[in-house]
Amino acid sequence: MTTIRTLLVTSLMLAAPAAAAAQDAGIEARLEARGLPAGLAHDVAAIAADASARGVPDQPLANKAIEGWAKRVPAPRILSAVRQFASQMSSARDAVRAAGIASPSGTVIAAAAEAMRSGMRAEQVRSVVRAAAAAEIAAPGLSVAAALAAQGLGGDQAVKIVVSAMRNHQSMADLLDLPSIARAMHDQGLSPGDIEHRILDGGDGGDRDGRRTGDHGDRPPLVPPVSRHDHAPGHLNFTR
Amino acid sequence: MIERDAFSADAHRYLDGEPFRELEGGEFATADRLVAEAREYAERLPALDPALDEVVMAAVRRRTPARRRGGLAWHMAPRTVRIRPVWVGVLAAAAALVLWVAPRAPVPAAPTGAALRPVADTVYVRFELSAPKARTVSVAGSFNGWQVGALAMARDSSGLWSATAALPVGEHRYEFVVDGTRWVPDPTAHAQVDDGFGGRNSVIVVGPKGLVRS
Amino acid sequence: MINGLSGVHPSDGDVVRQVLAGDVEVYRILVERYRSEFGRYAIASVGDRDAAQDAMQEALIRAFDALATCREPDRFGAWFFRILTNQCRNAVARRRDTVPVEDLDPPGSERTDQDLERGELGAALEAALARLTPEQREAFVMKHVDGRSYEEMAELLGVGVDALKMRVHRARDAMRAMMGALR
Repeated sequence: MTTIRTLLVTSLMLAAPAAAAAQDAGIEARLEARGLPAGLAHDVAAIAADASARGVPDQPLANKAIEGWAKRVPAPRILSAVRQFASQMSSARDAVRAAGIASPSGTVIAAAAEAMRSGMRAEQVRSVVRAAAAAEIAAPGLSVAAALAAQGLGGDQAVKIVVSAMRNHQSMADLLDLPSIARAMHDQGLSPGDIEHRILDGGDGGDRDGRRTGDHGDRPPLVPPVSRHDHAPGHLNFTR
Repeated sequence: MIERDAFSADAHRYLDGEPFRELEGGEFATADRLVAEAREYAERLPALDPALDEVVMAAVRRRTPARRRGGLAWHMAPRTVRIRPVWVGVLAAAAALVLWVAPRAPVPAAPTGAALRPVADTVYVRFELSAPKARTVSVAGSFNGWQVGALAMARDSSGLWSATAALPVGEHRYEFVVDGTRWVPDPTAHAQVDDGFGGRNSVIVVGPKGLVRS
Repeated sequence: MINGLSGVHPSDGDVVRQVLAGDVEVYRILVERYRSEFGRYAIASVGDRDAAQDAMQEALIRAFDALATCREPDRFGAWFFRILTNQCRNAVARRRDTVPVEDLDPPGSERTDQDLERGELGAALEAALARLTPEQREAFVMKHVDGRSYEEMAELLGVGVDALKMRVHRARDAMRAMMGALR
């Protein structure tokens, strides 16, 4: 998940092209520190600098190269994948801008690109982005929609669920819970159609009225193998 | 069957890391294989014996000291060499060079942003994999820079491996790494997505309440 | 304590100038630096660690002897690389004279996919490398064993990128043909 630093770096990139060379050197050094040979690090950094100059975040590209190297992917394949990812992020940026975010952050561009890579269409990306009340919620919204779609709910259904949750002013926390909830329902044997209805009818995955308070402030929740959501009876009952 | 005995122009472009038009599956595989074998070969190459340094210095000390001729060298302005930053970066840590020729050792995870965030944004997530025949299993993913040794799992008597990690909320991509080399997806993850290299990554989306598993 | 040199990693130029000013001991910095940096290249080009060791030793001593003729001390690395390459080629020629090519493991001839254990693959690649021309071997090693970019290779070899690409392409084609096991 890209961080605030990426956002700052990306906005600096857009403002000061001269800084691109310095950033390029940073990426190259980082890649070499992770074991990539100098030639490969140099080539990836060049692609990243080029992408940066076009308003596409460069850290996700560096991370992709690091991932490839860790997986022992041959260097030419890594370059090919990094180039492809840069191109996907470029398309994603266009989709996000078309949805009304004039200067999208690196985080939302990367999230949109990953969503499109997993099969979401540009217009679906736009729907999610438009429904987001604030720019910060667009990226998690896209990640959630992509995960729901990949779980078998279907792209349009996934988008519908996410848009509905956003329009009901659900918090980021509730949004982020959706893939877990959908997964648990699926493991219970519910069909995608049923899952969609349950979630939409419940409004948001069910926490509104049966909300527990005060559970999470004291300690980080440890997730045991059994379900730990105890909603109001009859509502989303998916204990083992 | 006619065997091609040379790479196509596009295959060379691919191997040079340049954009290429089209490559059929067999050529891809052959190209990747050559590169992979060269890399294996490189990793198994021994280092030269550092004792060589003293042999050289002993010989050098016996010689007449090399002298600068005519002082011209002082006035030579150093030319900017593009390659130097690379060399300095590479040579900055002698230990790193040993890794060129030794099997890549697991690197401890660098402190991540997760350690600095407020507790509410970090959640414990438990990973599990049933792999009775494995010798080691770890989790490598976007949250730990894909480092193979960063999150090692522990085995119970039934062959179930597990590990619990504190992760920031949001989306994470990862795979299990079995015996250091085999990358295996997590069937209990929310989704499996293309990793861009022809493989798959497991994806989980973590909310502040953690993951719900049934 | 190293006099006159700044920082933990003095530049090549600084060290060369210091040596030429009379401080012989600091030459060790360059010895260590380039034994590490080019060691793998030497072994892969020569095909034998001991012979590569000798070549590297000889090259480092000759570089010291000729140090005053290094016109751009800041580019010592590239200058030294040429000296090293010459020594490596000499070493290869000497080995050829003593070990007939026919006795080198024939690459790929009777191998099947089942035979391809790790050790076998490495041996096939090594034997194939030995059969390339010196320029092709050096170019292939720099590109695919050292992982250098063409720009770096051009700096080190003093040859243009286009010419280097041709060498690497020919090397790859020859490797592919020789390593029948790849199919």
